[in-house]
Amino acid sequence: MTKKEEKKEYVKNGKRLDGRGLEELRPLKIEAGVLSRAEGSCYLEWGQNKIVAAVYGPREALPKHIQNPYKALVNYQYRMATFSVSDRKSPKPGRREIEISKVSGEALEKAIFLERFPNTTIGVFVEILDSNAGTRVAALTAASVALADAGIPMRDMVSAVGVGKAGGEIILDLNKDEEDASDAVDIPIAILPRTEEIVLLQMDGLLTPEEWKKALKLGLKGCKQVYEVQKEALRKKYLEAEKEEAEPNVEATTQGEGE
Amino acid sequence: MRKKIVVPGELVSEERKKVGSHVFVENGKIYSDVLGLVYSDSQDASVVALHGKYVPQREDLIIGIVVQETFGGYIVDINSFYYSFISKEFIRDRLQRGAIISAKILSVNEINEAELGQVRVFYGGEIINISSVKIPRVIGKNASMMEALKAGTGANIMVGRNGRIWAKGGNTQLLAEAIKKIETESHLSNLTSKIESFLKEKNNKA
Amino acid sequence: MASDIVLDLRADKVIEAIRQGKRLDGRKFDEYREIKIIKNISKNANGSARVLFGETDVIAGVKMVPGDPFPDTPKEGSISVGAEFLPLASPLFEYGPPGKEEMELARVIDRGIRESKCLDFEKLCIKEGEKVWVVFIDLYTMNDDGNLFDAFSIAALSALLETKIPKLEDEYKIVKGEFSGKLHLARKPLLCTTTKIAGHLISDACFAEEKAMEARFSVATTEDGYMAAYQKGGSGSFSPKEIDDCIDLAFAEAKEMRKQL
Repeated sequence: MTKKEEKKEYVKNGKRLDGRGLEELRPLKIEAGVLSRAEGSCYLEWGQNKIVAAVYGPREALPKHIQNPYKALVNYQYRMATFSVSDRKSPKPGRREIEISKVSGEALEKAIFLERFPNTTIGVFVEILDSNAGTRVAALTAASVALADAGIPMRDMVSAVGVGKAGGEIILDLNKDEEDASDAVDIPIAILPRTEEIVLLQMDGLLTPEEWKKALKLGLKGCKQVYEVQKEALRKKYLEAEKEEAEPNVEATTQGEGE
Repeated sequence: MRKKIVVPGELVSEERKKVGSHVFVENGKIYSDVLGLVYSDSQDASVVALHGKYVPQREDLIIGIVVQETFGGYIVDINSFYYSFISKEFIRDRLQRGAIISAKILSVNEINEAELGQVRVFYGGEIINISSVKIPRVIGKNASMMEALKAGTGANIMVGRNGRIWAKGGNTQLLAEAIKKIETESHLSNLTSKIESFLKEKNNKA
Repeated sequence: MASDIVLDLRADKVIEAIRQGKRLDGRKFDEYREIKIIKNISKNANGSARVLFGETDVIAGVKMVPGDPFPDTPKEGSISVGAEFLPLASPLFEYGPPGKEEMELARVIDRGIRESKCLDFEKLCIKEGEKVWVVFIDLYTMNDDGNLFDAFSIAALSALLETKIPKLEDEYKIVKGEFSGKLHLARKPLLCTTTKIAGHLISDACFAEEKAMEARFSVATTEDGYMAAYQKGGSGSFSPKEIDDCIDLAFAEAKEMRKQL
């Protein structure tokens, strides 16, 4: 960035360049169960970010030598469409996508009851269709909804958000302009919202311990907000069920007759 | 009692209760492990999943499709994590790829592989698929739904726990429509009577 | 492990139904599924569209990038079409280098656009012998329920019709967020594929029908009565009469589809 940009004001009268408050998320919209062939899926819009996630499995892990007899593997793939960024991206996955896929997959591993599905693999595929900062946390948020939609047993959801610094202020959910600030710090965080266990954490930029404390607090708060939207999206799919009176648990007492 | 939808990790009960399906206990509290509907009273707590893959259970009756013949038997797709194997000792006829069978699950090992027994071979008919968590609704209380489906379509029906329904004769097209309806409306009350009137209406039109 | 065996069973049912003059989903032989076009789904793309044919769901995005001209055509720009079957779309897809199906699809879409001359390559010249526009058209599957050919074709055309040409500054650098105008299309080429099952010709095959097909024939047509590309696929054959029928169908169907653009 050029020198003169350093004076750019990222926060003025408590408002950011796009009109948001310091602790305000960009508009977040989540829809569960959007693809018919996948076992679970999710479409998510978060500011300009647009993401589709799909889950396949658990299915037998192949080739056999990758199988783990004690637990399922998580095959998380984060990819960006060639047109999803301002300069056309090569269709081949780059180092960035491979790294993000690794740490995001590990974040989900903590949440899933992997030990129930030995020798299998759970494929979690995420495609970024449009982007404007914060795609890895948006992708993880979408993936977690797709996993729940697939009926995969989990200890908790995974909720994620970006937090960081621009123009000397600690702010939630940085957009591209803010990420390009000369003093920008970007901290993607993902947690299990029930226990506040952190399952993904990265940082780049210069940060003091005091700033980190503030950022973490804000990040946890942001994750909880994201969690509420995730829950709402999953419930929406089965909304009528809550309205209706319950029937006693239907258990099959007889099996059908053949010919 | 109102049915409540929970997401994975959401609290089901803070009290001590007997735990049923799809719940786990942490620090004395009961949580759901799936997206599902809570069934909780003073003694028991469980969650019925709204979606999910079929996990083989002992004693389940399932419907399988022959994938391949091997020297000593057949490899059978049971709509789960792995294929199962049936020894030729259990089957009189020679089966082709695509043959439909029913079987009972005799045992399941620690990696969810199922051993099959009491094999029966079907001739003709077709398979209708549905999410395996919805199978109890296809059967209904005291098999009431099954009776409604049989009466309304004239089809011979066999329901497998693994999310497969075998049907032969009658109006299988209508049966498939009715099963699709059960799948999308499985969480609603009075489903059996809804399906009965749906079938009646369709039959009157025809 | 979505096994092919279930699909094989479906394929038998498809053939049985077609022999009785029916399709499993109740459509007529020449009937398409409902087509939905959602434009501008990605702001970072120069043009983009999402297209649904029933449950088939695909995305196209266009990026215009200054590139070097080919030595033999110093004043012509070019196009580059890529297709990727994302593993989101089917249990049978995996990431990796493009397979032969992806290659075929991309090349057939490419030919329809290129040969119809809907884009004037000379107008894509920035400076003769030095820089020209390369129009990258990238196609992705979200959900595969058959007939990716036609879905990709209409998605590519919809995205091109929306495409804005980036503004250039010194040394052919793109000015972000600014545009010099819209991409001009002289024609609207569309591909329509006819599938032969049990000796009958059917339009817009779904996935189960594709499993049952003998052969398919795709024709790219333009609104002014030209054909720009053919592609026959599958191990079966067509009689000359059947090919003529496929062509008639392709013209008729593309005409209907163009109304939705």
